[in-house]
Amino acid sequence: MPKRILLDTDPGIDDSLAILLALASPELSLEGISVVHGNCSLEQATINGLSVLELAHAEHIPLAVGCELPLVQPSLLAPETHGNTGLGYANLPEPRIKPVSQHGSDFLIEKILSSPGEMTLVAVGPLTNVALAIRKEPRIVGALNELVIMGGAIRHEGNTTPLAEFNTFVDPHAAHIVYHAGIPTTLVPLDVSYQCVLLASDVERLLKIESPIPQFIKAATDFYMEYHDSYQGIKGCVINDPLALALTFAPELCEYQSLPVDVDISGGVSTGKTFADFYNYEKKPANMKVALGVRPRDFIELFLKRMEKLSLTAFKLS
Amino acid sequence: MNPKRIIIDTDPGVDDAFAFLLALASPEVQLEALTTTQGNVSLEKATRNALSVLELARANHIPVAAGSVVPLVQPLYTSADVHGASGIGNSNLPEPTTKPLGVHAVDYLIERVLAEPGELSIFPIGPLTNIAMAIRKEPKFAKAVKELVIMGGAINENGNVTPLAEFNIFVDPHAAHIVFHAGIPITLIPLDATHKCLLKPEHVDRLMKIDSPISRFIQEAVEVYFKFSYERGFTGCALHDPLTLATVIAPGLLTLKEYYVDVDHSPGVAMGKTFADIFNVTKKPANMKVAMEVRGDDFIELFVQRMETLARRITG
Repeated sequence: MPKRILLDTDPGIDDSLAILLALASPELSLEGISVVHGNCSLEQATINGLSVLELAHAEHIPLAVGCELPLVQPSLLAPETHGNTGLGYANLPEPRIKPVSQHGSDFLIEKILSSPGEMTLVAVGPLTNVALAIRKEPRIVGALNELVIMGGAIRHEGNTTPLAEFNTFVDPHAAHIVYHAGIPTTLVPLDVSYQCVLLASDVERLLKIESPIPQFIKAATDFYMEYHDSYQGIKGCVINDPLALALTFAPELCEYQSLPVDVDISGGVSTGKTFADFYNYEKKPANMKVALGVRPRDFIELFLKRMEKLSLTAFKLS
Repeated sequence: MNPKRIIIDTDPGVDDAFAFLLALASPEVQLEALTTTQGNVSLEKATRNALSVLELARANHIPVAAGSVVPLVQPLYTSADVHGASGIGNSNLPEPTTKPLGVHAVDYLIERVLAEPGELSIFPIGPLTNIAMAIRKEPKFAKAVKELVIMGGAINENGNVTPLAEFNIFVDPHAAHIVFHAGIPITLIPLDATHKCLLKPEHVDRLMKIDSPISRFIQEAVEVYFKFSYERGFTGCALHDPLTLATVIAPGLLTLKEYYVDVDHSPGVAMGKTFADIFNVTKKPANMKVAMEVRGDDFIELFVQRMETLARRITG
């Protein structure tokens, strides 16, 4: 039986790659997508999510539109990282499919409650939809199988402020709600995702297959690689969100520690900083498993193989 | 003039219950629904109390939708010391025979407000969790709601839960921050005004001359509240929530000032403090009207008269 997953996302370049990886993985059944503000505006993220589903011939997967703004903080988007459309230089056609009419957080609530103990939620954007769902329907806490979050930078520099990772910085209050809700949670922070660098040579390998999928990956990641080079001095691009997604069916790619984790919502210079109490100074119980070690090339290889397989399938269909 | 159509978002609560009664006793307003939230008491008790008070006032045709169980970010914080274990003092209303609607208060508010843009006024008299969630869930909500009349904050007055902070705002300062900055026309009724509206034992004695379940309810409800108020040096108990209705039934009693108002949600000693930029040092435009003063005795007299009318209507 494939693992049933829901994806909460702000596509976004690496988000789109996570959607494709979910569709390419027979271990998973992607049961729906909820979209949130973040890498780009909610409207753009919705268009991108639908376009990527169409690209992969997965129009049957429901997509629900969620929150436009963070809970308390003002909106913060990332056009320098993901481009003005959120997908770098990729230029996908306007989607023909439409989102479902339900709000993203209600969609999550309904999906989770309709199969108690079954659903794994992978949240790879700011946690606004998830936090709103928890506050609106507290029973989802006990009904979720697992929550996998891409977010935070534990013992790693931030990618948005010196201390804070983007998803958590954009809506730290939502992260605070989600971290302390009592859901079995795995956190995939920059500590591991920044080791997973997709190289230009990796993309060249995919391009040997003639299919719209590698062409999309090339156009999207070209922009993303330019960003990593000019802002961070990294050759290649880190694919945070696909790593989080992969851990739902290949947890052995990472090493984990159970830790008490919190986020600073004080409004000071460390706002949005996710931190773990490694020495348990505060004597609080662990609230999540944190991925702190990764075998990056094994993950990249898995990602490439899945994209090759998906490209062949999509090529045959089109 | 047509009565003002209102929904009260509430955490009953002694003075919340009095606000419903005042709304029901006032021809200037049409109470269309109650939405409940945690606050003075748990959501469960708040919802039960709302239904029971409506039933007491023979108004159980008015729908009640249950909302938030906990504040957005802060842990749950209730106030049994002020409102008694049940939430309405020592009153012992029977279990309600009616039930809340099957829809969450946040969705109910969104649905009602979007169905008639510009028509409905919301009177939030508890923590602002439901209103904040409605604003974030449905971006069109802020433009479609006619106005908010909020009981909350202490501008130049002492706080009633910390030295600086008023209860409703302290319980969910993040929700207050969302609501204050949503661009909705707001009138704020802070402690600066409500602490001047004191219901005293002689008022209750006056009501008790009318043999009515309304008078008896008010007497039983205020006992704990009186005790709490005397301990703090007040000569009666403040009718915070009913004063929101003065904006409709007796606007001349209030002195409203337009200010830029914000709330501190940083976790320091001033957490939950509502402040107004009275000298406009930040040069930000006003985001609400604030009731800084009130003719308190006149308001209390009006309240008692309206309760007398209601008590005469509901006897037995």
